[in-house]
Amino acid sequence: MNIAGIGIVFNRGRGLPALEKALEEGWVPPTASRYSVSDDFIKDRVILKEMRRADTFSKMACLAAHDAVADSGLSVAGKSSLGIILASALGPYVTTFRFLDDILQYGDAKVSPTVFSHSVHNAAVSYIALCLQSRGPTLTITQFSQSFYQALLLAEAWMLEDRCTHVLVGSAEQCDDILEYVCRQKIHLAEDGKIEPFLFSESPKAVPGEGSVFFLLDKQETSGKYGKISIHGDNGVQGLDMYLLECSGLTGDEAVYRNDAKAGPLISSYTPLFGSMMSGIGFSCAAAALMLKNQRYYAAPVQSNPHNAPLCGGHQSAPLNTIRCISYGCHNEKMEFTLKHAHG
Amino acid sequence: MDEHNEQELAEIRKVLKELLVTNLNLEDIEPEQIKDDEILFGQGLGLDSLDAVEIVVLLQRNFGLEVKDMKEGKKIFYSLDTLARYVLENRKQ
Repeated sequence: MNIAGIGIVFNRGRGLPALEKALEEGWVPPTASRYSVSDDFIKDRVILKEMRRADTFSKMACLAAHDAVADSGLSVAGKSSLGIILASALGPYVTTFRFLDDILQYGDAKVSPTVFSHSVHNAAVSYIALCLQSRGPTLTITQFSQSFYQALLLAEAWMLEDRCTHVLVGSAEQCDDILEYVCRQKIHLAEDGKIEPFLFSESPKAVPGEGSVFFLLDKQETSGKYGKISIHGDNGVQGLDMYLLECSGLTGDEAVYRNDAKAGPLISSYTPLFGSMMSGIGFSCAAAALMLKNQRYYAAPVQSNPHNAPLCGGHQSAPLNTIRCISYGCHNEKMEFTLKHAHG
Repeated sequence: MDEHNEQELAEIRKVLKELLVTNLNLEDIEPEQIKDDEILFGQGLGLDSLDAVEIVVLLQRNFGLEVKDMKEGKKIFYSLDTLARYVLENRKQ
């Protein structure tokens, strides 16, 4: 599967220039106790013109998906061969809780039908299909752990069975006071807003984040300006330039990453730029794809390194062919996929 | 209509404008920009049938009013002014 286009909305802005700028600038503390997406980043009167009723979750996803298609330069309007898959840990839970709050406050006869319809998990993908005028299959995978990986597997299946020639695969997460409260009760939050991925701690600290990222995947190799994603095959380290570790403090014990850090190639983690998200590996995937396109190593934004892991310590333009993204779920189940440069 | 009722009507219009802008997610419109006799659907504010359902919910929640008859609803929902007058005349104290 070749990456033809990328779209992203996160706490540092919207679009690849914002991602590139964040990778260059490195970590900056969040303005609050979590990494939120500013309303200014999801205002777009053109793309969202038919979406005034949409919630923040749908708007973030729609903008990221639209931008991924725009970045590819491909025309998808009216096509039934474009699939759309959105991965999320919790889906539009902010809207779901708003709906439940309204039932408690006003009774079930006085709840807003609009709020209800947006609490349906496939609402965001429906908006994306409307926005792109796509007629292909759509699906939302709401799975607490490793949902982005499941979306990649499904995208590959759709392509292998010739159901789709292109698949928009993305992830979206939203964070508000409720999730922050839950995080505070269940895990450790970093009060200074700094995720420290390379502590590989048994009790790591997280900083909740939100945003959306989408990839337009194409069967045709010619369009893969960011390289290709491979989810099967050799898991050895030979020929690998870098491991991207999804240590964000959300899944508990991160000591499990120590073996990967010792395995050989250079390692990095960009979770401190995006915040902690259960489907955050999608954002790391965007960083990896941009590094391959730019042929540039970006320094790990937070470099506390008590285990002397082989960190990517500084920015450097140099040949870069293969990056493996690694993520462990809540029960230490390992998911990994590899990005290879188009000419690598 | 006496002066007291006029004052009440003006207050209801103000509340309705704020409720419409907030609950219908009307972008780029401030409540004070809505005219007192603004037509709600089609031309005017440009609301649609989904907004009509939301207004029914708003009337229930905020004024205890139920609009069940759609023929009656057409007249009530014609403009901000007809809506405000319906609230003034029927709201539960």
